[in-house]
Amino acid sequence: MSLWETHPLARRFWEEGRADMPICDMHGHMGSLNTIYFARAEAGRMVAHMKRIGVRRLVFSHHHALFEPSFRNERAWAICREYPEILRMYVAINPHYPEHVREDLARFDAWRPFAVGLKFLPDYHQVPLSDRRYEYALRFAGERKLPVLCHTWGGSACNGFPQLSETVQRHPDVVFFAAHALFGDWDGAERLVRESPGNVYLELTALPGERGILERLTASVGSERLLFGTDLPWFDEYQAVGGVLAADITEQDMRNIFHANAERILGRDW
Amino acid sequence: MRDLFFYDALCAAGPVMTGGNAAATPGALLAEMDRYGIDKALVRHANLPNVSAELSNRLLAEWLGGDRSGRLRGVWCLLPEQCDELPGPDQLFQRMAAANIGALTLAPFAHRWIPCRLTIGRIMDAAAERHIPVLLDDFTGRWREIYAFVQEFPDNILLVLDRSKHGPDRLLRPLLEAYANVYYVISGHWVPEGIRDLAERYGAERLLYGSDHPRFNQGNMMLPLKHSGLPLESIRKIAGETLESLLQGGRL
Repeated sequence: MSLWETHPLARRFWEEGRADMPICDMHGHMGSLNTIYFARAEAGRMVAHMKRIGVRRLVFSHHHALFEPSFRNERAWAICREYPEILRMYVAINPHYPEHVREDLARFDAWRPFAVGLKFLPDYHQVPLSDRRYEYALRFAGERKLPVLCHTWGGSACNGFPQLSETVQRHPDVVFFAAHALFGDWDGAERLVRESPGNVYLELTALPGERGILERLTASVGSERLLFGTDLPWFDEYQAVGGVLAADITEQDMRNIFHANAERILGRDW
Repeated sequence: MRDLFFYDALCAAGPVMTGGNAAATPGALLAEMDRYGIDKALVRHANLPNVSAELSNRLLAEWLGGDRSGRLRGVWCLLPEQCDELPGPDQLFQRMAAANIGALTLAPFAHRWIPCRLTIGRIMDAAAERHIPVLLDDFTGRWREIYAFVQEFPDNILLVLDRSKHGPDRLLRPLLEAYANVYYVISGHWVPEGIRDLAERYGAERLLYGSDHPRFNQGNMMLPLKHSGLPLESIRKIAGETLESLLQGGRL
């Protein structure tokens, strides 16, 4: 019999489309983008998609806040207020607009509980993570022990292993979520966690389904260091959940990935 | 999964020059298929881009010779006709039938030739006449080349796919709209509810479940298909019925 019939969690998802387990999606976006067609990029349709499978929280940074300087984070906060039961936000940090960064971070506390952390996108903004233009935001996050979801990719000159490694050492009070887990540089991802002062989690967007990778990272750094994410509206929640369920890891590992680690970092009611 | 029949349209096996973890034996692949509930698989040789088509075809036939399950069928690779590296259509199809090969592929970019009527017109016309599917895995990401090829061979059953993880709707939909013989393997279609969107617009019979094993595990795209929101009849087509029908329709 297949795992969809024998594995308790997989069986529930297979038969019912959801399980009695909250899912914390720690990497989402929203809104249109230049290079891709999204049929479900607006809040209402995204929330409907997530509710089908039982996502409890999606933490997102709005595409427009990342890519269009005139779109400010406050608009993402307003969207969160429309869907308080599920949406949380990362404040998008564009290092080319330091005045926006200061203004938006000055409002961070007012945007709680919806604002839970910051989002960096070094490759796309073409500013290496080690650049001093991130310092203000990093110090802000460190003072509050906030998570920073930072885009990473193996071999990148802006957010590859060297930049991440240097920055996580320099800011031990910041909780780094390494988005995409340095995709492709699995040795680097493992080193990043092992050599960090305990402040790094590997966020898994684009990994679930890649054969053997979740198994490798679970064995090397422990499932306690892995976070579930989808890049929604990029990837289907069922694809990402299915990719985790299809990995040869324990049910406790899966629960750590889906929700327990996020709850340990942000609390059970965030 | 007794409620669904899965036929994996995109699977590679055999040792690769650069290493990797493709299934070394039919038994190894079948064990993974059993883990996920995959009934059958269409398999090409994983080292195909790195060696000659003649060699990879022979190796795949030997590999399939170790299968006693009846659950695996092979994909052989084409070459331009002018260098006489492969036999003519009739003889090729006879050999395919004898070796349990059900579909064709081509690797023009790895094997350094131009995929067009000038180079493979005769064999492609024969494949169209006999309804033998042609898998365009080597074309992945080369949408201009896919468009040109599909335009040149509209009568062939062509299986296209995407590996970018970057939703390909803008590139894919014009092909599905214009060419009734284009089928889409959903292995890389991670678009939220995108399977349902495509099926409702172009028909579930145009989509094929495929895993892209060994890059992806075979369970990866099963859950999003099962919970795509499509009627069970449509899910059955995508999971395996359409591919089974296509392969049964091929006259080797």
